[in-house]
Amino acid sequence: MADALRALPARRIVAHVADAARRWNDADFPPRVRVTAEIERRLGYSTPVVEYALDRLFFALRAVELEAAIGAELGSVEALDGVVERRGLPAAWARGVERVAIVSSDSTIGVAVVPAVFALCAKCDVVVKDRSDALVAAFFSSLADEHAAFAAAASARPWTGGDDPDEDALFAGADVLVAFGGDDALRAIRTRCGIETRFVPFGHRASIGRLARADLAALDDALADRIVRDALLYDGEGCLSLHALFVDAAGSDLARVATSLAAACERVALEFPAGARDALPTARTAAYRNLAVFRAAGGSGAVLRGADATLVIDPPAEDALPFLPRVLPVYGGDDDAIVRYVERQRLPVQALGVVAADADAVTLAARIGAVRVAPFGSMQSPPASGHHGGAARITDFVRWIDTA
Amino acid sequence: MPAAAALDARILAAIGAYALDDGAFLDLARALFAHQVEANAPYAAFARTQGFDANRLPGGIERIPAVPAAAFKEARLAAFPPERTATWFETSGTTTHGLSGRHEFDTTRLYEAALLASFDRMLIADGARLRYLNLVPDPRERPHSSLGFMMDVVARRRGDGAGGWYLHADVLDADAFAGAVRRARDDGAAVCVATTAFALVALLDALAERSADLALPAGSRVMETGGFKGRARVVDRAALYRETSARLAVPIGAIVAEYGMTELSSQYYDDPSGRDTIERRVKVAPPWLRPIVVDGDGRPVPHGVVGAIRHIDLANRGSVIAVETEDLGALVPAGLVLLGREQGAELRGCSLDAETLLARRG
Repeated sequence: MADALRALPARRIVAHVADAARRWNDADFPPRVRVTAEIERRLGYSTPVVEYALDRLFFALRAVELEAAIGAELGSVEALDGVVERRGLPAAWARGVERVAIVSSDSTIGVAVVPAVFALCAKCDVVVKDRSDALVAAFFSSLADEHAAFAAAASARPWTGGDDPDEDALFAGADVLVAFGGDDALRAIRTRCGIETRFVPFGHRASIGRLARADLAALDDALADRIVRDALLYDGEGCLSLHALFVDAAGSDLARVATSLAAACERVALEFPAGARDALPTARTAAYRNLAVFRAAGGSGAVLRGADATLVIDPPAEDALPFLPRVLPVYGGDDDAIVRYVERQRLPVQALGVVAADADAVTLAARIGAVRVAPFGSMQSPPASGHHGGAARITDFVRWIDTA
Repeated sequence: MPAAAALDARILAAIGAYALDDGAFLDLARALFAHQVEANAPYAAFARTQGFDANRLPGGIERIPAVPAAAFKEARLAAFPPERTATWFETSGTTTHGLSGRHEFDTTRLYEAALLASFDRMLIADGARLRYLNLVPDPRERPHSSLGFMMDVVARRRGDGAGGWYLHADVLDADAFAGAVRRARDDGAAVCVATTAFALVALLDALAERSADLALPAGSRVMETGGFKGRARVVDRAALYRETSARLAVPIGAIVAEYGMTELSSQYYDDPSGRDTIERRVKVAPPWLRPIVVDGDGRPVPHGVVGAIRHIDLANRGSVIAVETEDLGALVPAGLVLLGREQGAELRGCSLDAETLLARRG
């Protein structure tokens, strides 16, 4: 139970979280070493990819960022501790709800950690059901080392696909249920919520990139590397991975961009080697690439390979996005073409990768329903204090008590 | 003699003999490849990307350029002019953007000879003249279904003339099928139920709803084909066969899986010597069809290693000799272990996937 946690000031909780995260920033921290090996074994990603993921995750959990996110959403960190005066608003207490359940039905690295941290900052009891519970459980253990209150408030249990009978009581009794997963998993989890449970789903999404005509002159090796890194990290399997790139160019200009990106694939693959792959995605990737080669032989589009990555240039716009490991479709087209493409595909867009997050980019993001505009190279490094999936970080975990 | 006719004569001879050694296979494959890159422009263009043309022939069958099955939806892959198209079979389900492709034929002689030669040995090696009760597309309704065509040929050429078709617009007419089985029993006629996997599931569901079994006459057999891709219900094949055996009163060994595809002219069947078990049956090819299992870069993998299946089908004289699929399998000394496309690799990450996107698009 979170009684001991509720006795702590929120800023102290934040400090403990940040201290624990700081230990996890060290690649030689023994629990991290063990977890890294476990993630590699389970998911097949290469060591540099897993290390990158853990670095991004724990470097972001800094006190200043957590406090800024809480302050931005709740007005102040102290609002979590008791009634606070609020200018022009009733004095109120952002009291954390009692029970938060977080389900990560995907095999994604540490996706449950950030919501769990914010729920703990709100002084909630947190139960995480995770496909690969090694990371969450190990981090919770580090939190318990920081302060015993975390041991009672935070627990991690394995998610085995929804067949655990104890989950019915857990989900029905949760005040907030955060769920990450695919359509079927989210539908199934939603039906198990209590009538008053606040359900916060994070479904699967895709991310796309846009290289505007004005950006083409700036395309150098460094920019190409950043674009390709966003595509190749996690073998393109994250919702923040670059799944399709639109370049406002055609003909030789588009070919020049493609050549530059293929060269970047060679470089980035050295930094982030591909993970192990099952036979089925391997076969699908080969089939997609061979079909693109067949089309190219007939004069439609082109195929470039760089290391273990494949760039398919100008595939038919009516084709569904392939979502295959280390395969990046590159389309020639401007912002209007992107909008048409997203509408035709009915694509739920997470992030829009751009060279500069300027007003035009934000306008385009709004047109295609993207919830984040990210400079290339940072698509897969969202700030912990940002709005993941367009949602608030801590607001869902509190129930306001007004004194007016 | 025109090249096509000469090739047909050689291929028909191999089919008739039901024998073709490695050297003869390669000779015929190279001749066929040379013919096709002369007469099939899209295939020729594709072959050139791999460094082959009519003057530079592949040295081994594993080097013959294999078009992805989906290419049949991208171009007319025929080694004869359009005006000579006698019939075509419509492809389905292998690409994502909804276009249907065609496998065209200038003659069905090779196709018919190939299918009968295999069927005779794999389903009716005892020479039985069966009654064919077909749970596959009726060729009168779906004239471009390769499966319907195949069973029509079999029923006409090998059947007792009293069979029928019980799948209409993908819906099983269970009552009519049950009536046909009762008549066969009355007539003492052994039957062959030729069925897609999903139609078989529908039949078993219908029988279960009625709490009924439907014993087939003695000597009957079941030929099952096709997977469950795109179907609402996926059933474990072993469970399907056990229930089929129980409800239709046929021995497990009389349930035979056929593996074919519209883009081919020949079929694989369960190895007759290993049909008493269900798990890990081995598919065997006729002598003019060779499977090659390849890795992600198209390189053949050793026996026992799972990869994508590539087919070298000499009966595909009018289209392309080599077709690559997304079907998974592994070669073993006895033949091919087919894993299909239903082998569920766990999706990693939180990205959308193509199948979910297509489902959302409706």
